Amino acid sequence: MKIKINFSSILSQLLLLFFVILWITPTFGLFISSFRDKDQLAISGWWTSLVTTEVNEIHRTKGKKDQVEDEGFYIIKGNLFKKDEGKKVLSYGVTSKNINAYKVGEVAILKDKSEITVFENGNYQLKSKSEFKKKKGRRIFITATSPPSFTLDNYKEVLFKEGLGQAFLNTIAVALPATLIPLIICSFFSYSLTWMNFFGRDLLLATIIASLVVPLQMSLIPILTIYNDLGALFNVEAKSFPGVWMAHTGFGLASTTFLLWNFMKSLPNEMLEAAKVDGASHYDTFVRIVIPLSIPAFASIFILQFLWVWNDLLVGLVFLDKHPSEIILTAKLKELLGSRGENWEILTTGAFISMTVPLFIFFSLQRFFIRGLVAGSVKG
Amino acid sequence: MNIFRIKKFILAITLLVFPTSIFAGSGHYHYDGPDISGAKIKIFGPWLAPEDASFRDVLSIFEKETGASVEYGGSDEFEQIINIDCKAGNPADIAVFPQPGLAANIAATGCLAPQGNDLKQMVLDDYAAGQSWVDLTTYADANGKDQFYGIFFRVNVKSLVWYSPDNFEDNGYEVPQTMEELISLTEKMASDGNTPWCIGLESGGATGWPATDWMEEIMLRTHPPSVYDQWVSNEMPFNDQKVIDAMNFFGTFALNDKYVAGGSKAVATTGFRDSPKGLFTSPPQCMMHRQASFIPAFFPEGVEAGVDYDFFYFPAYSSKDLGRPVLGAGTVITATNNNPATAELMKFLMHPEAHERFMGKGGFLTPHKGVDKSKYASDTFRGLHDILVGATTFRFDGSDLMPGAVGAGSFWTGMVDYTNGKSAKDVADAIQSSWDAIK
Repeated sequence: MKIKINFSSILSQLLLLFFVILWITPTFGLFISSFRDKDQLAISGWWTSLVTTEVNEIHRTKGKKDQVEDEGFYIIKGNLFKKDEGKKVLSYGVTSKNINAYKVGEVAILKDKSEITVFENGNYQLKSKSEFKKKKGRRIFITATSPPSFTLDNYKEVLFKEGLGQAFLNTIAVALPATLIPLIICSFFSYSLTWMNFFGRDLLLATIIASLVVPLQMSLIPILTIYNDLGALFNVEAKSFPGVWMAHTGFGLASTTFLLWNFMKSLPNEMLEAAKVDGASHYDTFVRIVIPLSIPAFASIFILQFLWVWNDLLVGLVFLDKHPSEIILTAKLKELLGSRGENWEILTTGAFISMTVPLFIFFSLQRFFIRGLVAGSVKG
Repeated sequence: MNIFRIKKFILAITLLVFPTSIFAGSGHYHYDGPDISGAKIKIFGPWLAPEDASFRDVLSIFEKETGASVEYGGSDEFEQIINIDCKAGNPADIAVFPQPGLAANIAATGCLAPQGNDLKQMVLDDYAAGQSWVDLTTYADANGKDQFYGIFFRVNVKSLVWYSPDNFEDNGYEVPQTMEELISLTEKMASDGNTPWCIGLESGGATGWPATDWMEEIMLRTHPPSVYDQWVSNEMPFNDQKVIDAMNFFGTFALNDKYVAGGSKAVATTGFRDSPKGLFTSPPQCMMHRQASFIPAFFPEGVEAGVDYDFFYFPAYSSKDLGRPVLGAGTVITATNNNPATAELMKFLMHPEAHERFMGKGGFLTPHKGVDKSKYASDTFRGLHDILVGATTFRFDGSDLMPGAVGAGSFWTGMVDYTNGKSAKDVADAIQSSWDAIK
């Protein structure tokens, strides 16, 4: 009996572990990638950066400008690596046809009779009896071991790029009202749908739930047309922050109302009846009983709606102008990608930077979130 | 004493006036617009970093001279947003279209404002092959009447092959001058054990477009430009033998495992952004890469133009008398209203100073004849300018001129199918039937 219980619990633990790993691995890979050099990112997987690997690289020596004359020889000296990353040269070559023709420290004799030597730390020396004439240096192909190396360049690129701070503030300016307004409206609405009797209540509820199936993409143009007319009427910009708040409120209202109604329905009937007997008005019942009891549900709806608005790109693009004072974070990150997506490495970093606020919100409201989920499902 | 003062005054006046009169005569005069302070102009386009900063810099000349304020905003969802804005009736004053085909679609909805004859005359006078640029921005309006809608600003040359001079030197290869030489060079590279080409077609939702450029280049090099025009307008069906032959000619490069890096299976799955990196790996994965003038933006960091890489003109057959055809693309600037401020900005964008400012920032090529070539940021662009101006035939990217469902749809997917092993005939038939479906 005891063994059986352990077996099933081990199985569920293993299953849990499996799903955790399944979810964490790509995130972890993305995290590692965000610290990697953009050219490395393009040619090798993130797991290769964790251990010392062998790499093939092309470097170029200095040109004729840097030669010095010494006892009848012309010499060019230097180091192949731009910065010290702990790379060690194993072998090298001087043409693309044979990239590891010489061992490190070995002297290679070139077609023009000049000699070249490459050392383990990347130092090289070109030596010739006649003067070097070429302006550009000679290519050297090396095979080297490369220890794990990471860089903060991507983060610097994203964080200190002009306009990102403003975009961050813009997103907050969009996300907070666009979360709070629907929350306030739907709390009144759900209360009345749950605890007040009026004509057509069920039909209204059914309509709201039915409106969940309308894709928001369908309503973009009609709403923008209304905004244009309103904007012309009151002589204000059609694309503005209040506009995007209203849009998000409208798009979010159906689902938030449904979730909150679902929760409020599960509150004990007796408690509200007792309040009524004691002479409490609907307003008193709502403020003193229903709201305090619904805090967990509010928190979880807050998180859901906030995450939705925070990560939104489409609504922000359509209902806001694209100039710096209105552009939102997601749109700004897309802009940083470049016209043809040439800077895609900043996506890795951008993902983590834009993730910070939702993570903060989630962890600070997490205890409500879990309670909210459980509370809605168990009828008192 | 008095006379001396007057003399000094006169001297000062001459010094002030004289230099400006010299510059006014030389043609590189400074843009001098009317005072339209208080006007607000909004521009919406596809340019993002780093082009957006360059373009804003160009606009700052206009702002300084006229006192108007200009706001540029860019998005890579340009196509969707301009459609939404136009339907909702609130587009930006000026729209920068990445392709003329899209501009034609929007013009047909009546959202764009036709431009006057003076702007048209400026294009005819100032651009090399001015008439072809005017034709490319003349579209049917909502009533089906042909109108002139805008100007090309920032063009791309496509007919280029990128290579590493060092890799060519190591192997003793010469830059080919004719298509015959290019074909024999490809064979020679393969027999030497090198891989001649890097071809990558993957580009997210636009996967396949680099292959459409190949098709267009081949069509221009195997048939007269009139055939090309018939093909693009579908007067000649897509499944004509000429097109099928062109596709099979592309196949001799792309479907030969020895001719293309990673083998023919990798062609459709390799990103067009990553594909040229094969020129710079150790050992090199390929020797040549055919792509438009923008591609150096995707080369690895630190490689230098003229040292680590160079380009040559994708050559034409010496046996066919078709001249030096050049394929290109470009962005079209159009206006959505005829406000005086908007019209002035359109004129400003035809001014050499606007072009020269962008040229100096890099990544900008112009057919404007009045610009000072030394203002280009690099020799690469001076070389490209020569190719553009030296073209005997200039044709616009055909897939951009075809209807969206074909040029940005079935043509792309068809080319992917072709590299995955479907026969050229089947692919051409499928593309033609998708074209018939929208007629």
